[in-house]
Amino acid sequence: MTLEIVLVVAGALFSIGLFGVLARRNIIAVIMSLELMFNGVLVAAIGFSRFTAPAALVGVDGAITESAVRSALTGHMFAVFVISIAAAETALALALVFAFFRAKQSVEITDATDMKN
Amino acid sequence: MSGAFDSGPIATLAFFVASAITIASAIIVVTQRDLVRAVVALAMSFVGVAAIYFILNAEFIGVVQILVYVGAISILIAFAVMFIGDLANAGTLSQSRLVSAVSGVLMLASIIFVAYNTDWTAIDEVNDPDAVAGLVGHYEVTGGSGGENSIVVAGNDVEDSRGGALVDGSSHIGPALIREFVLPFETLGLLLIAALIGALVVIRGRQEDDAQEDDAA
Repeated sequence: MTLEIVLVVAGALFSIGLFGVLARRNIIAVIMSLELMFNGVLVAAIGFSRFTAPAALVGVDGAITESAVRSALTGHMFAVFVISIAAAETALALALVFAFFRAKQSVEITDATDMKN
Repeated sequence: MSGAFDSGPIATLAFFVASAITIASAIIVVTQRDLVRAVVALAMSFVGVAAIYFILNAEFIGVVQILVYVGAISILIAFAVMFIGDLANAGTLSQSRLVSAVSGVLMLASIIFVAYNTDWTAIDEVNDPDAVAGLVGHYEVTGGSGGENSIVVAGNDVEDSRGGALVDGSSHIGPALIREFVLPFETLGLLLIAALIGALVVIRGRQEDDAQEDDAA
């Protein structure tokens, strides 16, 4: 298990999500593919956090300060914030889907043409 | 990419199994014509990603992943699928199917190319066991007389450690949230409130219009 393998798995998730976002016509399916892309990015962030140590911890021997350990968790903090924002984004996106369905009686992404031209 | 950060064959095997489950479920999500089945595959994929987090020593993120993604977002999307119920042509793929497939493959190829052709020299330096002395191995937090607590390394035995960059990272996430990351944390709370109110406004807006029209009539 190396950083490269983790990045390949993250890239595979991201690419599958990208295909879904471009190929699907149902808006809910597009949102599901977006979640896959989020997860791909997060796996990459956690992978970097796991296989690297920040500069604050290099060359320290014996006792290391607590703030240095906390700065080693930047990748984890990134994941916490992205997960929270993804949850907010999904709630808002599904509200928009409901509003769109109420206006158009459709969830096809090709029907969202009100602002075209 | 070896030495201090090796996690042993069992963790590697578990990582590959979790990755296979995740990627297979993700492929089902983007190809399945039945949206309800796609949601179930999406939840499965989230569970696989949570397993990857656990294997990568991110226990707290794994728990949050299961709580938020599997427990909340999957259910929210399943709710939307069943509420809207426009499943007749849910599986239709757009006409740009070929372009989408080419984009996905090109993206994956470029990520693999970058991952294997980048010289992760800086990371390799840090992977030196001497450089991360104190990170690999067991350490404990001792109460300081004032100011910051210091963390004393109990042992640097690489063989005996879990081989993680942080043996016990979860207990430091809370202090980090209210010290180094307090401003983003509070901003996040504001964002969540704004998103929830926004979702309510978007959902309810038309109903209020209808009510006003009913009153006028």
